Amino acid sequence: MASRHLATLTLALGLGCVSAVPAVLAQQTSSDPVQDEPTTAQSQLPPVPADEDGERPAVSPGAAGESGAAETADIGTDRSQPQATQAVGADWPYYGGGPKAQRYSPLDQINTGNVGNLERAFVYRTGDMPSERAKGKYAWEGTPLKVGHSLYMCSAENILISVDAATGKENWRYDPKVSDDAIPYSASCRGVAYYVNPQAGDAAACKTRIIEGTLDARLIAVDAKTGEPCEDFGDNGAVSLWDGIGNKVPGWYAVTAPPAIVRGVIVTGAQVKDGEAEDAPSGVIRGYDAVTGKLAWAWDLANPELTGEPADGETYTRGTPNMWTAPVGDEKLGLVYLPLGNSSVDYYGGNRSDAENEWATSLVALDVTTGKPAWHFQTVHYDLWDYDLGSQPTLVDFPTDKGKVPAVILPSKQGDLYILDRRTGESLFPVKSVDAPSGGVEPENLSPTQPTSAYHTLRKKRLTEKDMWGATPLDQLWCRIQFRRANYDGFFTPPSADKPWIQYPGYNGGSDWGSVSVDPKNGILIANYNDVPNYNRLIARKKADEMGLKPINERAKEDNGSIPAKAEGAGDPQAGAPYAIDVNAGWRSSLTGMPCTEPPYGGITAIDLASGETLWDEPLGEALRNGPFGIASRLPLTIGTPNNGGPLTTAGGLVFVAAATDDLIRAIDVKTGKVVWQDQLPAGGQATPMTYEVDGRQYLAISAGGHHFMETPVGDYLVVYALPQNAS
Amino acid sequence: MTTATYSTHPHEHERSEHGIGYWLTMALAVVLLAFGLAIFAGGVWLIALGGSYYYAISGVGLLATSIFLFRTSMAAFSIYLVTWLGTLVWAFWEVGFDWWAQLPRLLAPTIVLLLVAATIPVLKRAEND
Repeated sequence: MASRHLATLTLALGLGCVSAVPAVLAQQTSSDPVQDEPTTAQSQLPPVPADEDGERPAVSPGAAGESGAAETADIGTDRSQPQATQAVGADWPYYGGGPKAQRYSPLDQINTGNVGNLERAFVYRTGDMPSERAKGKYAWEGTPLKVGHSLYMCSAENILISVDAATGKENWRYDPKVSDDAIPYSASCRGVAYYVNPQAGDAAACKTRIIEGTLDARLIAVDAKTGEPCEDFGDNGAVSLWDGIGNKVPGWYAVTAPPAIVRGVIVTGAQVKDGEAEDAPSGVIRGYDAVTGKLAWAWDLANPELTGEPADGETYTRGTPNMWTAPVGDEKLGLVYLPLGNSSVDYYGGNRSDAENEWATSLVALDVTTGKPAWHFQTVHYDLWDYDLGSQPTLVDFPTDKGKVPAVILPSKQGDLYILDRRTGESLFPVKSVDAPSGGVEPENLSPTQPTSAYHTLRKKRLTEKDMWGATPLDQLWCRIQFRRANYDGFFTPPSADKPWIQYPGYNGGSDWGSVSVDPKNGILIANYNDVPNYNRLIARKKADEMGLKPINERAKEDNGSIPAKAEGAGDPQAGAPYAIDVNAGWRSSLTGMPCTEPPYGGITAIDLASGETLWDEPLGEALRNGPFGIASRLPLTIGTPNNGGPLTTAGGLVFVAAATDDLIRAIDVKTGKVVWQDQLPAGGQATPMTYEVDGRQYLAISAGGHHFMETPVGDYLVVYALPQNAS
Repeated sequence: MTTATYSTHPHEHERSEHGIGYWLTMALAVVLLAFGLAIFAGGVWLIALGGSYYYAISGVGLLATSIFLFRTSMAAFSIYLVTWLGTLVWAFWEVGFDWWAQLPRLLAPTIVLLLVAATIPVLKRAEND
């Protein structure tokens, strides 16, 4: 059949009008993003006409600023000009699909009319399953890339693999030999980055390369054709990210997300394991030349003068907010959008620096040519709830009354979705300032107000006693007693030690690392989300000491870093702070193990992109594997489970999503929200699916890797579906 | 009233006529006593914390049902029927037709209703003695 590949070749080269940092970008840097008045970009910036395929010419919204686009001479790649981007369609060349990370494909061979005929084309197994030591710590979460005839992926412990995209036959693999010690919270490798060296000849080694960050904090570059390490990159294909971080403690500093590559600069952060100590590895963001692996710049938010490596014996500022999730870049603007998390100690803020308070839980637009921030937008002030920005931002040409505005969609764990002009950081919709509850252990430090988005929020209404749940009146009663015994004053109730407090939404979102999907054709935003509270309590230091809570660097000395797996925050030491933290994630009943709140625990919603209005909102996930005392109920009823992993939307009118704890992948009609196809995966589907085309046939791929925290079976499967060949 | 209090029945004779139904009824009475005590005590605690009155009241219903089951009195069924009807009204008042929310509210109490109803032959025979 004829190829339906809707190539949207995004050639940004030759648009010489791009200035690196327009002056308008620089002015926003220190302003408070919370504004009571509507701020609309259309009143301030000229709309930019979009061309036919939704891509757009480079914009130059202001005169070229003084910030240097010129200081690029010291490295091999010219950062002053945009580089070519790859189009999503037959290929899936970026973690988020195309360069805009919309998790959208223009392929429509699989559509609402025939999706019921999908069958497995092949199942590939990476062979990367947990060793005895790593049991209970695996959560692969991987999404492959597809370029040409090959899929490119990393396994849970970072083995780089290329397989034939039509048959699943392995082309090559490269094992960087990551030790189990390096596993932070989970052994996860969400994806890799693909880069074409514009300066190399077509036959040159590593002309095209696959780049990943590893759990043991290395950047690895291998030849996309052969899997051989790129000799020109770092030390024989590897760059150590431990440089400048300080004492090497395996598992404390680990990369689990794919980097963004913008203008030839690999931009990466790292996951700094939460809740260990205030004196923790730095959250520094670094840019490396994608060809040579040389450090292009560093951005240490608490030490902005330091743009290279720290002096011998010194480190980047310790304990600062980090970026553990995937960033996204804009080649034309030369900006990379960094969703920052919180400081290393989440639930106590009294010792944080002004810089931490300024930047934590913000989206930061960094100029990749200089490593300097252009603007930032903070979603939580004085974050005491682990509301890290976990979702990869999505770029979109946002429809407004006055034409399309280059925007970035910023989902958040507290549920608010922000639409920001990606040139300036201005919100296109009003950002409301709401009064925040007071109290807790540091009332004098709390932010009196918090921002919320007038565009849309995934957050549900506040909990009441009657929302408590259980299997019988007895355990429901116990949860009601717990509800009444806790501090709860709604959204943003501050941490307390005298009594437990209820955090709702919990740290799993709202929107977590799976992020959202945008169907630009129909103007629909698809978001799956969690709807689960946490039941938390601060533990005074003396008691924490009695309980034996110690940070990872002290634990590591004792038992060689083999740490029992547990949910994040369930007894974290927070060394340096006066309190440790105990989190009951998902607020599970101590009687039955069931959630104390009634379902649904997660859903998926379609939002009208232009207005932010809900089109449909359905629970996501069946009760199959859930029940009291950990016994699977086997009920094929939609209950709405917690979910991790993003949606994929296609021009076939379908949303593909797994994510829930029922181990199903399903197709949902984007217009109605109804499930129109589903299949049982061999393990938990906590990953974002992707789609591609080879020789005129569309494929759908999802990794079934399972997730220890989501309590789904662990696996190493890449399951690939297609329509029967004779039926298309 | 319970046979044990009638002096006209010799002790040996009384024990011999207790079949499996009687002992199942006693077992149910024990279970309802345990749940009744827990729900009543928890319910009082919940009231003290400013919460719902339902649990303490339904705890009283369960305890009374249990006591009358021990006494093999038909009043056990009547009392539990009233408790269950009250539960039904309360549950729909609280959450309406949200069936997942009704699960903890109605499932177990309805099973208990069926179990208590199943003791009716035992209770009737005891009353006819």
